[in-house]
Amino acid sequence: MKQKIAVQVDDLTVAYNYKPVLWDIDLEIPEGVLMAIVGPNGAGKSTLIKSILGILKPIAGSVTIYGKPYKKQRSLVAYVPQKGSVDWDFPTTALDVVMMGTYGSLGWIKRPRQKEKKASLEALEKVGMLAFKSRQISQLSGGQQQRIFLARALVQDASIYFMDEPFQGVDATTEIAIINILKELRKAGKTVVVVHHDLQTVPEYFDWVTFLNVKKIATGPVKDIFNDNNLTKTYGINYKVSVQE
Amino acid sequence: MSNAQLEIQLIASLVAIACAIPGTFLVLRKMAMISDAISHSILPGIVVGFFITQDLNSPLLILLAALTGVITVVLVEYIQKTGLVKEDTAIGLVFPVLFSIGVIMIAKNANDVHLDIDAVLLGELAFAPFDRLLISGIDVGPKSLWVIGVILLITIVLLLAFFKELKLSTFDKGLAASLGFSPVILHYGLMTVSSITTVGSFDAVGAILVVALMIAPAATAYLLTTDLKKMLVLSIIFGVVSAISGYWFAHWLDASISGSITTMLGLLFLIVYLFAPSKGVIAVLYREKQQRIEVSLLTFLLHLKNHDEDNERHVNHLNEHINWQKVRSKTVLDLALRNNMIVIDNKIVSLTPKGDMFTTQAIDYIITNEDTQIEDMKNDFFLFRG
Ligand SMILES: Nc1ncnc2c1ncn2[C@@H]1O[C@H](COP(=O)(O)OP(=O)(O)O)[C@@H](O)[C@H]1O
Ligand SMILES: [Mg+2]
Repeated sequence: MKQKIAVQVDDLTVAYNYKPVLWDIDLEIPEGVLMAIVGPNGAGKSTLIKSILGILKPIAGSVTIYGKPYKKQRSLVAYVPQKGSVDWDFPTTALDVVMMGTYGSLGWIKRPRQKEKKASLEALEKVGMLAFKSRQISQLSGGQQQRIFLARALVQDASIYFMDEPFQGVDATTEIAIINILKELRKAGKTVVVVHHDLQTVPEYFDWVTFLNVKKIATGPVKDIFNDNNLTKTYGINYKVSVQE
Repeated sequence: MSNAQLEIQLIASLVAIACAIPGTFLVLRKMAMISDAISHSILPGIVVGFFITQDLNSPLLILLAALTGVITVVLVEYIQKTGLVKEDTAIGLVFPVLFSIGVIMIAKNANDVHLDIDAVLLGELAFAPFDRLLISGIDVGPKSLWVIGVILLITIVLLLAFFKELKLSTFDKGLAASLGFSPVILHYGLMTVSSITTVGSFDAVGAILVVALMIAPAATAYLLTTDLKKMLVLSIIFGVVSAISGYWFAHWLDASISGSITTMLGLLFLIVYLFAPSKGVIAVLYREKQQRIEVSLLTFLLHLKNHDEDNERHVNHLNEHINWQKVRSKTVLDLALRNNMIVIDNKIVSLTPKGDMFTTQAIDYIITNEDTQIEDMKNDFFLFRG
C-alpha cells in the first residue's frame, strides 16, 4: 500500500540576507509518521519548518501540503515554535495563550467565544495544566510553558503538527508526558514533525527521521537510516551512538 | 473653569488616550524608540504638507506627514536588515537626518512657512482653543479637538476590530504568520496609526509630549498588571490623569502645559516603579530579603533533620556551626518557632512533626520542581513563588 504524502518539499532554497542557509532541499513526509528532524545548531531546522509554514519566503522551490500550497491548507497545520521565540513576560494567562490556537479557524476580526474557550480548557486538561489556566505565563516553569504551547497546538485540531524543540528545557516527567501525547496523535492518524536534539532517544520516540545540515542528508524510516554513517555525515565528526536493540 | 480651560483639558485627554493605545503595543513590542523616531522624522512631511495645504490641521497634511513616519520605519528596518548595524543605531541614523531636512526646509522658506521648531517640539496647548473650526459660519469647537477626536475614533474602531490579531502578532509573530494573520500588515498598520496619532497630536502638544504619552503610561501600566486588556485600560487612565493634573500643575506654576504633563507622567512612573505590588523595586527588595531568610530557615531545618546529636542542636552551637551572625540566627529561630516548626527544650532545638514534614516537602520541591503539591504552601512562603 502506498502511503499518502502529507508534506512535499521541492528544491527549496532559503536565505537570510542573501546567505543561503538551506540548499536545494527535497523532502517527502508521508502521512501518519512521527518524524524527527535532527542536525547540529544552525543546520536550518527551524528555518525549514518556518519555510514550510510560509513564515519565511524561500528564494527558490516550493512546498505543498496534501498537494496544495500551504496558504490553502492552513487549517490542516499546527505549529509549536521554539520556546525562546516569544516573550514570556507578555501580560497574558496560560488559558489565553492556548486560545490563540483557535484564532486561525476564527479568521480576521471574529472573537473567540464559549466554544473556543471550552476547547482550550480541554486541551489544557490533556496536557495536565488545567490547574494553571489563570496563571500569568511568566510564572510557569519551562516545562509548563512547553506544555502550554503543546495545548495551543492541540486546540488547532490539525492533521499535521510541526514542533520546534518541544523538549527543550523540560524535565523528564514532562518529556514523557509530551511524547505520549505525540504518540497518541500518530495513533489518531496525524502526522507529527519534531525538531529533536537528543539523538539517544530518536529510536525510542520516532519512526521516521530526517537528517539536515544546510542540505538534506537523508530521510526515511528510523530503523533503516538512523545509523552512524548518516550521523557522521550530518554532524561532521566521527559520530557514534549506540542504538539499543 | 472657563470654556478654554475645559477645551484644553479635553484635547489633552483625547491626545493621551489616542497615544496610550498604540503606545501599549509599542512598549510590548519593545519598540519605544520607534515612536521617538517617528515624532521627529515627520517634520519634513509636515513642511511639505504645509506648502501644499497652508493648514496645519488639514487631513492631507496629516496623511503626508504620517507617510514620512512610515517611511522612517521602512528605512530603519532596511538599514537593520543589512546586518551592519543594530536597530537602535539604525533609528539613530535615520531620524536626525529626516528631522534636519525638515529644519532646513523651514529655515530656507522662513518667509512662507509660519512654523517654528519650538512649536513643533514642544507644542503649545494653551493656544489650541484659539484655532476654531467653523462649519458654515458656526463655531463647532477647536480644530485640534476635532482632529484628535477623529483620529481617536478610528484608533478605537481598529483596536476593537483587530485586538486579537494585534495581541497574537505581538506575542508570537511566527504563529500569527502561520495562521494567516500577516505580521507585516499588522506591523505597518500599527506604525501607520502611531504616525497618524503623532502628526495629529503634535500641533497641539508637540513631539516630545507625544512620545511621552505613548511610552510612559504603557510602561507604568506594564508594572501593575499581567493582563493585556487591563494594561490598555490602565495606560489610558494614567495618560488622562497626567494630562489633567499636568494642566493644573502648569496653571498653578504658570508654566508650559506640555512640560507639566510630561513631568506628571514621569512622577507617576516613578511612584509605580517604586511601589508596584509585585514588580516594584521595594516589593522586589522585600521579596529577596524574605527569600534569603527562608533559604536560611530551610538550611537550618535541614541541619536539624540530619543531626540527632544534642551538641549539634544546641542553640549556641547553631550560631557558630552554620556560621551566621546573631541577628540572622535569631530571625530564623523566631520564624521557625512562630510557624511551630521547632521546639526549644533546655536550649536544645528539635523539629516538630510539622517542621519535619515541611522540610521534606520543601526539599522535594527544590529537587523536582513539581508544583502541584505545594500550591497551598506558597501563600506562606516567598521561596516557592518563583
Ligand atoms: N533572522 C535571521 N537572520 C539572519 N540569519 C538567521 C536568522 N535566523 C537564523 N539565521 C541563521 O540561519 C542559520 C539556520 O538557523 P536555524 O534554522 O535557526 O537553525 P537550527 O534551528 O537548525 O538551529 C543559522 O546560521 C542562523 O544563524
Ligand atoms: Mg532552531
